[in-house]
Amino acid sequence: MISESILQGKRVRLRPIADEDLPLFARWLNDPEVRYWLSMADGPDLTLESEEEWYEEMRADPATVVWCIETEEGKPIGNLGLHAIDEAHGRATLGIFIGEKTYWSRGYGTEAIRSLLGFAFGEMGLRRIALGTDEDNARGIRCYEKCGFVREGLQRAFRLRGGEPVNGVVMAVLREEWEREARGGDHGG
Amino acid sequence: MVAEAVLEAATVRLRPLTEDDLPLLVRWSNDPDVRHWLHRSERPPSTLELEREFHAQRLRDPSSVEWCIETPDGGPIGVVRLRGIDEAHTRAELGVYIGEKACWGRGYGTDAIRRVLRFAFEELALRRVWLITDADNARGIRCYEKCGFVQEGVLRGHRLRYGAPLDMLAMGVLREAFADG
Repeated sequence: MISESILQGKRVRLRPIADEDLPLFARWLNDPEVRYWLSMADGPDLTLESEEEWYEEMRADPATVVWCIETEEGKPIGNLGLHAIDEAHGRATLGIFIGEKTYWSRGYGTEAIRSLLGFAFGEMGLRRIALGTDEDNARGIRCYEKCGFVREGLQRAFRLRGGEPVNGVVMAVLREEWEREARGGDHGG
Repeated sequence: MVAEAVLEAATVRLRPLTEDDLPLLVRWSNDPDVRHWLHRSERPPSTLELEREFHAQRLRDPSSVEWCIETPDGGPIGVVRLRGIDEAHTRAELGVYIGEKACWGRGYGTDAIRRVLRFAFEELALRRVWLITDADNARGIRCYEKCGFVQEGVLRGHRLRYGAPLDMLAMGVLREAFADG
């Protein structure tokens, strides 16, 4: 579904995705360095049509919600979302990518995820947010750890990348951990 | 999708699940001893309408295939499924339950799973089959280990059981290990 909420971080803003974003998404996801870390790494190039199809499916799926990540200047740099949202069990899966490579390693992803976690554990009332990433995605894993995610397992040969099996790391953060962290942050000024 | 093949295992037989099986699925999934081990513990009791809806969804879903497990005398006792069949990454997730409690502990589940794994690795040419199960489901875990699954992680509080968070184990089996076993 389309989020109606705008989430404001210090330097980023998460806003609903719009039709006009789709050409940008196709460009990002066809960048070999961006898609290298994503499950479509080995898939065919994306087209505007395939992005429109994805957008329609996502809009119709009540278990998915996606936002566009913008800088404070209003420049879109990536997107993130919650998938497999299960209200009965209070959990969801996080997915994120920064498509503008010049914004990599500058803390935008970390801030975007923190804003999303506040919303997921707060307004949405979820208990657990999990994610999966490649075992060798050191930059991503460091970012997730900064956001409070803990390594829970290693799924052997979880996916193929360049035709080769790659191990997947499963990570998750629980609401009580997030709240403890948030309180600790307040005390630390 | 519809399971096309009937799979004969050592003792059990896996055949396509049909509309006629749905009343049984209602009875099985509403049995408190069965629900205890399923995500359904947190959902309203099942009805024939609900089962029809789920069944129709799974038939439409090209990434899902399911069989009814039958004993040698032809009695249906449970369900085994592959879902999230991902041809690009050549993996799928396994789900199984034995709804007839009198048939628990007799190796029927193990037999059914081994047959589905052979189908997944040989017919579907998958590389990896994985599952999640309640961390306190010792009977299930022993069965999965017998089938070649290895513990890969603990998902903390992945689900609720009667409102309380419950850890789940992630397990996986790779084609080469299954072939060697």
